[in-house]
Amino acid sequence: MTVKKTVLLVDDSRVARMMTRRMIETDRPGWEIVEAATGEEALEVYSRVLPDFVILDVNMPGMGGLEAAKRLKEVYPQSVITLLTANIQDPVRDQADSLGVGFLSKPVRGDVLMAFLSMDDE
Amino acid sequence: MTDFLDDVQRDAVTEIINIAIGQAAGALSQLVDEEVRLSVPLVHFLTPDRAALRLDEETGGGESVAVRQHFQGPFAGDILLIFPERRSLHLVRQMLGDDLPVDQLTELEQEALMEVGNIILNACLGSLANQLGMGVESSLPCYIRGRGRSILDRGPRPEGESEMVMFLHVDFSVRAKDVHGYLAFVMDISSARHFIDAVQAYVTAQLGG
Repeated sequence: MTVKKTVLLVDDSRVARMMTRRMIETDRPGWEIVEAATGEEALEVYSRVLPDFVILDVNMPGMGGLEAAKRLKEVYPQSVITLLTANIQDPVRDQADSLGVGFLSKPVRGDVLMAFLSMDDE
Repeated sequence: MTDFLDDVQRDAVTEIINIAIGQAAGALSQLVDEEVRLSVPLVHFLTPDRAALRLDEETGGGESVAVRQHFQGPFAGDILLIFPERRSLHLVRQMLGDDLPVDQLTELEQEALMEVGNIILNACLGSLANQLGMGVESSLPCYIRGRGRSILDRGPRPEGESEMVMFLHVDFSVRAKDVHGYLAFVMDISSARHFIDAVQAYVTAQLGG
């Protein structure tokens, strides 16, 4: 029995959030999913909810996902974060590595997303 | 007007774009869970008016919906995903599931198309950038509805910019879902030359030249 967790989904696209939410609700029924549409909103929601996982888009109006990940890691070094982005360029992957966050490319496969959401099971 | 490229350069550009479009097709195929068929990329040097006319000819002259992203780096331009007819509802249904009511599907159509564009156009741009070892910044996607001229309209031309554009496009289709469309790059001649030089340098390096 998996312990129910909380996931923060951050994407400026409502459709992208719906697609990711649907995958999580299918594979992890009962988990709480909270959403944010910008990097700024993500920081605010994170501090209030303290989710177990954060899934961050990169290209968003205002603060992008890389900057949001950097700020979250500075304040919450234990946070479990992945980027989920269409921007597959190598420098973005490299920046994710150096920040200590994951990198998933869109469209993400269900098993790949679930592997990320199992990261703190062991 | 095709003498901006010699045969070797045209072959190199086609190959690089083939690989980039292949990445984009892979992303689309995953979204719709079907095979995506691609044409051979075609490169033309045209005036913006001729490019718009060409797009109208290929899309049957009707209105199209498109997602456009501007990109910049060592070369700059626009990349577009164009659907000649209103086929995007098929895609939305595929992405969000069959259980969504039709009115909600319609409401989400534009946002869904922008997300499809975001995924596909960035897969293509990202692959190009990775192959050429260059960073390319792209704008957020914007949605356009209209005929060729409004879809390809890039606003007032900066002073000194050539009247010609490089119009590079690929047709794609998902037969099982009755979805077909075009992916197009539009660059002014100065950017196109930088792009062609980068492709040629890449190919030369690959061949150990």
